[in-house]
Amino acid sequence: MITAKSAKRRQNKAERIARVGKLARGKFVVPGKVPEVLRRIIEPGDILCLEGDNQKQADFLANQLATLDKKDLRDIHLVMSCITLPAHIELFKKGMIKQVDFCYAGPQGTAVADLVKAKKFPVGAIHTYNELYARYYIDLTPRVALIAAAQADRKGNLFLAANTEETPAIVEPTAFSDGIVFAQVNEIVDKLPRIDIPADQVDFVVQAPYPMHLQALFTRDPAAITDVQVLMAMVALRGIYEKYEVQSLNHGVGFNTAAIELLLPTYGERLGLKGKICKYWMVNPLPTMIPAIESGWVESVFAVGGEVGMERYTAARSDVFFTGRDGSFHSNRAMGQLAGHYAIDMFIGASLQIDINGNSSTVSKNRITGFGGAPNMGCQPTGRRHPTKAWLKAGAEANPGPGSPPGRKLVVQMVETFQAGRVPTFVEELDATDPSIRKALHGVTPVMIYGDDVTHIVTEEGIANLAACRSVAERQAAIRAVAGYTPVGLKRKKRETEDLRARGIVQLPEDVGVRPSEASRSLLATQDIKGLVRWSNGLYDPPSQFVDW
Amino acid sequence: MEKFTKAFPSKPLPSKTASPWALAGVVGSGNLEVLLERGGRPATAMECHVETSIPGYKAAWLAALADFAHHYPAGGTKVTINDQGAPPVLVTLRLRQAYDHLIKGDK
Amino acid sequence: MTGAILFHELTARQRIAAIADKGSFDELLPPPERITSPYLAQLGIPVSFDDGIVIGHARIGGKKVYLAAQVGPFVGGAVGEIHGAKLTGLFKAAARDKIPCVLIVESGGVRLHEGSSGEIAIAETMRAIFECRALKVPTIAVIATDIGAYGGIGILSTCCDFRVMTEHGRLGISGPIVIEKWMGKKAYDSANRALVWKTSGGKTKYLLGDADALVHDTADAVRDGISRFLGKSSAVSLTAVKARQKELEKRLKKFGAATDPDAVWNGMGVRNIEAASLASGPEFVALAKRGK
Repeated sequence: MITAKSAKRRQNKAERIARVGKLARGKFVVPGKVPEVLRRIIEPGDILCLEGDNQKQADFLANQLATLDKKDLRDIHLVMSCITLPAHIELFKKGMIKQVDFCYAGPQGTAVADLVKAKKFPVGAIHTYNELYARYYIDLTPRVALIAAAQADRKGNLFLAANTEETPAIVEPTAFSDGIVFAQVNEIVDKLPRIDIPADQVDFVVQAPYPMHLQALFTRDPAAITDVQVLMAMVALRGIYEKYEVQSLNHGVGFNTAAIELLLPTYGERLGLKGKICKYWMVNPLPTMIPAIESGWVESVFAVGGEVGMERYTAARSDVFFTGRDGSFHSNRAMGQLAGHYAIDMFIGASLQIDINGNSSTVSKNRITGFGGAPNMGCQPTGRRHPTKAWLKAGAEANPGPGSPPGRKLVVQMVETFQAGRVPTFVEELDATDPSIRKALHGVTPVMIYGDDVTHIVTEEGIANLAACRSVAERQAAIRAVAGYTPVGLKRKKRETEDLRARGIVQLPEDVGVRPSEASRSLLATQDIKGLVRWSNGLYDPPSQFVDW
Repeated sequence: MEKFTKAFPSKPLPSKTASPWALAGVVGSGNLEVLLERGGRPATAMECHVETSIPGYKAAWLAALADFAHHYPAGGTKVTINDQGAPPVLVTLRLRQAYDHLIKGDK
Repeated sequence: MTGAILFHELTARQRIAAIADKGSFDELLPPPERITSPYLAQLGIPVSFDDGIVIGHARIGGKKVYLAAQVGPFVGGAVGEIHGAKLTGLFKAAARDKIPCVLIVESGGVRLHEGSSGEIAIAETMRAIFECRALKVPTIAVIATDIGAYGGIGILSTCCDFRVMTEHGRLGISGPIVIEKWMGKKAYDSANRALVWKTSGGKTKYLLGDADALVHDTADAVRDGISRFLGKSSAVSLTAVKARQKELEKRLKKFGAATDPDAVWNGMGVRNIEAASLASGPEFVALAKRGK
């Protein structure tokens, strides 16, 4: 029996498609007609999903949407993971958006902060990735989704290439609720290498006049890694990776973790850790992992997205990466985040600010960025039941109560005590607690990772084991002890620090067997991008901005 | 530019060192050079002269230098620093490098 | 492949320590003498105890040399009054004592804050270099970093008898940004790093004969490269200058209209551009020879 609501929804979809009429030939729309088609398929009050995360963007469709005006389209409830493009900002400036729910606004963080100040940014909430995808199935189901694919065939089947990312998480809830799915593709071909989205779930296709925007987000040039970062990487390897025998993990984007990756085949090998740690990864195909992979450290890598230039390398290493039958790289953001939530021993990442309770955030009054995926992985999954060595060991240290799980995921924040320009990383109170931000977010402070979830903080001063602290005061003292010469660090008391050190809650580099004078870039498996290409036997094709040969 | 001078109590330097002076680091953006010499006064203190391009961080400087003087027998040394905005961690790292160099000479 | 200490990553002092015979380096005007730039101090810019150049005498493979290394990170290795006086003095001493002089270059040229004295110092150093050459005292420039040798120091480097370069080294007069500013982004995109290195980098300079040796980016390789030239000198004569002029005319005719640096590589005998791009030092040299 058809319920009245679904009948209405289906009928409404049919009406929208009928309005397009001859503007499309079957599913196919020519680029010049896209703005008019968008005007006809989107209705006021719609939940509209624009595909775009921190890497791939349905940029052609977004740019076309931004050519429209409030008279064409209004009262849109925009849902999208990342506000990344100037076109996204345009929609707000033109007053077309009545509400936005999103995750991250990296490159447009300043523009978003300006919109907030101008009261032109009616935000519902800032989400984590999987939280937003989950809401696509509950109360934020898109009526129209504008997505991006690498190729379509003549029937409208889609191939997503290395950057599958969040497309399935958008298409499924939209297509199965009589929403409209409109895809921009780089090419239309007779035969796809593999079908990622069946034509059945796709309503319109346009071959964009330019290929979709892909950000080389995870490429870190080893040349920019500092000796201090090498020191921190050595401390983390000995004090955490080795101590807990971390087998499965996620690395954030940053030079700190890139240093760790490049130390595995050198320093890690010297410590005899190969085969004992870092075997299973939930991480994008990071170019800086090439030496570890080539040295046989890595069993498998699953990714939330691709990385520009890694296509040939990942195809050649399909014994490590997840690939299609043809060797083409496969990623999936929702599933990757899920894997990072439940199935890894450790998440390690960085942040711009950490407060005295261990809460971290990248948001300030003048730059509203958001979270992305870090909180999905940088948290304790209390739904986890399977044990691993690392999980149980960290759990035992945390001294679980009778109503707590026996294990803990290692959630590690790895930061230098100062950011560039001597801005302290450690603060008494996060900038994100600013009343204007809290007001815009309906009373919620945008915390990226909560202090209660963090097990360790690593700085150039040493390691603070927050999980082993037995009180809030103790945790604060442990954070001050590794906060160096920031104002937060200068307030530490020598006696407290010595006591925490005696109990192993605070560990200095020498306490975990690291001599700071040894920390040098020369320990890295390679010192530059060219070295990565050499390690890959010429299979890695770095983006041109990294090539100086 | 900000300039300051201060002596920090420190156990006396070993009577024999590999060389009379040692220099670590270079003056460059976000970096600094440390010149460590014998002949600072008195023998129970580390005499420090700092010139930094970024004013306003004297408290952090003093704390970092005091910690070094506390952890290493550097009494009777003279430390002169030319700084172009290095983070405190580099202050400590360069001091250590210069100190090792002074005591043990070239690696 | 792992854990090598790359020459371009060392500081000036470390470079000297790494190529001189162990313990043989004796620094002239060392840091404790505190001979620093009075001009930078007046402008509120941090000074350095060596004013951006370390000079002294040492032995390389047992042979006596005068040895200097510029400090690129300190105001771009630029030549001010003190820096310039140390540079000039060293080459003058080399001519006086008939001892080879090796300069590890890392400088964008004259220090703008003390322009005239820098200009004069570079000119005086060139005169000292030619004095050395007339006396057949070898002068060698080592160019191994991206700061490289530009402006007056680019010219000065080419005045030396020999240049030893690595793939990281760059040699020119105007820097990429200056070229782009005058010629336009279409003619020369300074953000295109591959283009910049293929026009001013060590490999191209070697192919064109502007560098006399192309070596691996390690201290050992650089030392060996220097050693090759310590007993040699290149003549300064009207005939030599005229021959060089002819070569340059030929080069202009052959490549003057080329818009792609790969065409220059091809024209100089490099067949497999991709392999040559990744090759370093002698491997690159071998690839280039094979094509000839």
